[in-house]
Amino acid sequence: MTVADRGERAARRAARRQSRIPTLFGLTGGLIVGVLICGAVFAPWLAPYDPTVRVATPFLPPSADHLLGTNDIGQDLLSEMIFGARVSLAVGLVAATVALLIGTTVGVVAGYYPKRLGSAMMRGVDVILILPFLPLLIVLAAYLGRSLLNTIVVIGVLIWAEPARIIRSQVLSLRSREYVLAARSMGAPDRWTILRHIVPRTGLLATGSFVRAVSNAILLEAALSFLGLGDPIQKSWGSTLFWAQSRGAFLTPAWKWWVMPPGLLIMLASLGFALIAFSLEERINPRL
Amino acid sequence: MRRRIDVRRLTQYGVVVVVAVTLNFLLPRLMPGNPLVLIAGVDVGLLSPEDRAEIVARVGLDAPLWKQYLRYWGDIVTGDFGYSFRAKRPIVDMIWSRLPWTLLITGLSLIVSAVVGVILGAISAWRRRTKTDLGMLTGMISIESLPSFWLGMVLISIFAVQWGLLPSFGAVTQASDLVGWAHAWDIISHAILPVITLSILATPGVYMTMRYSMLETLGEDYIRTARAKGAGERRVLFGHVARNTIAPVVTVLAIRLGFAFGGTVIVETVFTYPGLGRLVFEAVSGRDYPVMQAAFLVFTAAVLAANLVADLLYPLIDPRTRTS
Repeated sequence: MTVADRGERAARRAARRQSRIPTLFGLTGGLIVGVLICGAVFAPWLAPYDPTVRVATPFLPPSADHLLGTNDIGQDLLSEMIFGARVSLAVGLVAATVALLIGTTVGVVAGYYPKRLGSAMMRGVDVILILPFLPLLIVLAAYLGRSLLNTIVVIGVLIWAEPARIIRSQVLSLRSREYVLAARSMGAPDRWTILRHIVPRTGLLATGSFVRAVSNAILLEAALSFLGLGDPIQKSWGSTLFWAQSRGAFLTPAWKWWVMPPGLLIMLASLGFALIAFSLEERINPRL
Repeated sequence: MRRRIDVRRLTQYGVVVVVAVTLNFLLPRLMPGNPLVLIAGVDVGLLSPEDRAEIVARVGLDAPLWKQYLRYWGDIVTGDFGYSFRAKRPIVDMIWSRLPWTLLITGLSLIVSAVVGVILGAISAWRRRTKTDLGMLTGMISIESLPSFWLGMVLISIFAVQWGLLPSFGAVTQASDLVGWAHAWDIISHAILPVITLSILATPGVYMTMRYSMLETLGEDYIRTARAKGAGERRVLFGHVARNTIAPVVTVLAIRLGFAFGGTVIVETVFTYPGLGRLVFEAVSGRDYPVMQAAFLVFTAAVLAANLVADLLYPLIDPRTRTS
């Protein structure tokens, strides 16, 4: 074995070790997300009680019957946590889908027509990125009124700007690739070139942006519900915390079973998607 | 050699202001329901006929939309944000009385998160791919997933309720006439938990930028040259890496300041801290829309000021971007 051989093998080993970390992050994220999605789907079978029904005395501490105690109107908190996964994940996924649709459209069009149209669109994207994000979210939510659909719309229309920027830069570079130039010089219409050659190749990047958007949307839904701007009928982790706050649960020993679980679940959900996003981004643009 | 402020940037900021003001103008007028309610912020039944007539006359609700729009601009340019019928006070007064508290806690948390984020980010990049680096990175990604209000609630439960170390709400002890040092400590002790919460939340952003920026610098040719000519690690770190790394970090910090301002809506709500953010929450839950709108404009102004500072600072720190 020559010295050069050995050097090469060491380098390959180092590269493999390095690529293991994003994979580990991705797998952890996938596991978290998988468990939470299962919980949300099978909620009616998993939850011991109906979270919308009064089943015991209010403000009970944890016991064998109610593992996380009961809330201020005697509903089972564990069941509320399990059903809460539905709202949080649904809002996260749907709002991120809305954001991705707008973001991809704007990104692809702005990247494919980079001159007048594209630069005007990106000027608009920059304006949206500068506006104070959270206050704008609150103002829009306050005017639109409290419903699940409005929460999704408000979050979706505010978080598409970052994906749009990322996808545009990818399209800009795809646009000057040889096969795209070939297709165009053979007289392929723009629509065909875009759908056939450009959009499919933004897939990995778009997936990364989508997963990152889900992670953000989950946190934003929780924040809106906590401020009392969420759907008053739906039980989400954020609304549990809203009631815990307005009933002063965090000023009593009840914080351990009423405040801790929903917060940890929100964090886990957001973290699960963030880890997947991180491992995807790392694959595209290694930063480790 | 000073850089002229970029005209395009200024135009962009101008557009942001126009968009914010226009949104404010259009939202209450285009939403379903009585615009009078949305503009006054209280139910019409609660207004006396004189009040009602005054509002209609003041915003010119009977006039065509473009005239109302011009009048709205006139009010804002002259610093007249209107009157809160709910609080029975001019809105400008309400904002001025809240602003100092928000500036206090955002300013302090910016300093804390900048120092901690820069130090940890530098260590992380210097020890790239070691256990230290990965541990810190994982920790920071986890912090980014923390719901900010929940972090505040948990800190209150532990430090204020469980251990009774710090006050759990407000900015000063109510109905106390503390003076001198006792008064200063009162203010500080009330600010500690909100500042810690905001600092924890702002640190990952600084850390990520610092780590990435330093990794880029470490890969530059002039660092290899410095090492090759025999410069010690310390000299490489402080003489070559530090200076070239810090410019993007300062920009991010300045922009973060604008974001931190918006983040106070949630943190101040949890701590019942009487700043601008809490004012937004009170306005939203009391449906006092004009107050909410005025606060939104102040937040916009803060973000723009922060961006402007970033634009002005960058060439001072990184001479490569100066134009003669």
